[in-house]
Amino acid sequence: MAEAGARPSGGAAGGARIRAGRGGGLAAWLAQERVFRLIPFVVVEAFFLLLLAVPFLLTLYISLLKWRANRPFEQAFFQGFDNYFDVLSDVEFWWALARTFYFAGVAVLLELLIGFLLAMLCAQEFKGRRLYITIFLVPMMVVPVVVGYNFSMIYIDSGPLNEVLAPVVQLFGGDPRIRWLSHPIAAQWAIIWADVWQWTSLTFLIFLSGFSALPPQLIRAARILGAGRWQIFWRVQLPLLKPVIVIAIVIRSMEALKIFDQSVLLTFGGPGNSTQTVAFYLWRQVWQFNKFGFGAAASIILLVMFSALIYYGIYLLVRERATLQREGG
Amino acid sequence: MARILLKDLVKQFGRVTAVSGVNLEIHDGEFLIMVGPSGCGKTTTLNMISGLETPTSGEVVIGDQVVNEIEPGERGLGMVFQDLALFPHMTVFENIAFGLRVKSVADEEVRRRVLQAANAMHIAPLLDKRPAQCSGGEAQRVALARTIITNPAVFLMDEPLSSLDAKLRLDMRTELKHLHERLKATFVYVTHDQAEAMTMADRIVVMRGGFIQQVGGPLDIYRRPANQFVAGFFGTPTMNFLQGKVETDGGRLRFRAKSIDFLLPAGAGPGSGREITLGVRAEHVLVGKGAQPGRVTLTEPLGDETLVFFDYGGDAPLVAKVSPELHLSSGEAVTFGLDEAGYHLFDGATGERLN
Repeated sequence: MAEAGARPSGGAAGGARIRAGRGGGLAAWLAQERVFRLIPFVVVEAFFLLLLAVPFLLTLYISLLKWRANRPFEQAFFQGFDNYFDVLSDVEFWWALARTFYFAGVAVLLELLIGFLLAMLCAQEFKGRRLYITIFLVPMMVVPVVVGYNFSMIYIDSGPLNEVLAPVVQLFGGDPRIRWLSHPIAAQWAIIWADVWQWTSLTFLIFLSGFSALPPQLIRAARILGAGRWQIFWRVQLPLLKPVIVIAIVIRSMEALKIFDQSVLLTFGGPGNSTQTVAFYLWRQVWQFNKFGFGAAASIILLVMFSALIYYGIYLLVRERATLQREGG
Repeated sequence: MARILLKDLVKQFGRVTAVSGVNLEIHDGEFLIMVGPSGCGKTTTLNMISGLETPTSGEVVIGDQVVNEIEPGERGLGMVFQDLALFPHMTVFENIAFGLRVKSVADEEVRRRVLQAANAMHIAPLLDKRPAQCSGGEAQRVALARTIITNPAVFLMDEPLSSLDAKLRLDMRTELKHLHERLKATFVYVTHDQAEAMTMADRIVVMRGGFIQQVGGPLDIYRRPANQFVAGFFGTPTMNFLQGKVETDGGRLRFRAKSIDFLLPAGAGPGSGREITLGVRAEHVLVGKGAQPGRVTLTEPLGDETLVFFDYGGDAPLVAKVSPELHLSSGEAVTFGLDEAGYHLFDGATGERLN
């Protein structure tokens, strides 16, 4: 640091000194200030190019080809934007997209509500609080495939869920063998609940940290000024938690739009196409029907659509983070 | 009526006893300051008055009513916190209005009273700002305005000036005193700063380790501290303490310590042979008058007076306040004496006052 300060225009003068003093070799060249500071950047960019840019460009290229993977690549031919028109005019694509938004919307809403309530309870002091917190955090750490298999066992017609529900269902004269995975609407809810079970942990964690970051002095001040519990909640706690709520909504929505595992493992998109999400639709077009060009075009279209959403989400995150910093300081 | 009575007040946190049986009467309209080092129980006592802490045993009486079971918001108090606790998501206006909003006061009335409180605290131009946009002094006034708007009969203040810089703190002291005179309410103020207590209080309560050490007016406490702890806590520089023994010397009592001895005034409390601590404030150490020899180790000019630290052969150097005209430098030999009127005699073991 001291040396950098001693030669303000580091580039030319310092470079010259090193050039004069070097006995040759890469190490000396890399050690120059103007080169050294670029090293992390170059490494990150290299990974970016390799892992993101190359596959992206390939996808873009394939999306312009008429190519089915069950035929040799030599028979593929360039056909312009035909794949894009095909995707956009495929009703199934739009249905899958709508279904994805429906699943994500309902699941995220439930996760927010349940996570918020649990966090509110766990923010109080009571015996065994830590144990409950640990238990509530477990689902998030379970591998999604395992969650899928567990729920497929829970949901089978003669499975534990129906066993538990049977007395209630019979009371109303219903068939106790609810077909969780083969009735179109029940199957949709089966997937939503599996997602809620796994990801409420995350919203719980986010809200719990939000609650514990609330300055206790503000609540004390509100009590002295005569506010009751509900008034403190609505007028002080909830407004102060707004940034955290936005963060939870954005993070969970981004993830939920990619919902895939549950619909593969529980229902394989069925019955019919009633649980086919857009990610699953894409996977099926490519890996079941071998429509590589079509699949590539669909994924580019989704990328564009979701990018807009994600950028809006990131804008919200940045804005709320600024609010947090301003109000915290 | 805002007389406050604390009866045998005890607060325990698990095995720790923060407040051990406090009995105190706070008069209506009084500016009472509780002072003591951190962990002495002063804030816990204040929180029990406010209702934010529930006493383990004992009673808090406000007016004629035992308020132990009454919610903080219904005790008719206002409180200013150490970190002010302004609501960061509300404008200054809404912060001040909060106490009225939760009581569903009509908008018109809220507006009128907020403006009134803001004018009283000279913060009317800030009403649309957020607390984070206010300076330290402005935020302080907002917190006060938020407190006065509900017209509480009792103001509780928990080190409200500790986050301000030195200059602003002095200004705010004056302002708080004016506020007290204007409102004629009961102020209970907690601080660890003895100078703050001396300058503002009608009465001071000195606490230590959960017990009250002394209750009295600022000058009483300064002039007749009840024990060695209080004597050492009040006054800058800290009082000089000399450990020694009382001996009889031809019908009079003599205080004998390491390389120093003095005759005690006639009628001084302790009997012969007793181990005592003699306390003398810097203004009662008379440099140049007396026969004891010493050597200057350090001088601290304060402008209107100068502090002189000198070694006389005892365990710790003595400090004296001298006129700034008296130029002394380190290493210089001096003679000194002690002013009998300024003797404070404390028991060597318990620290209790003896004279």
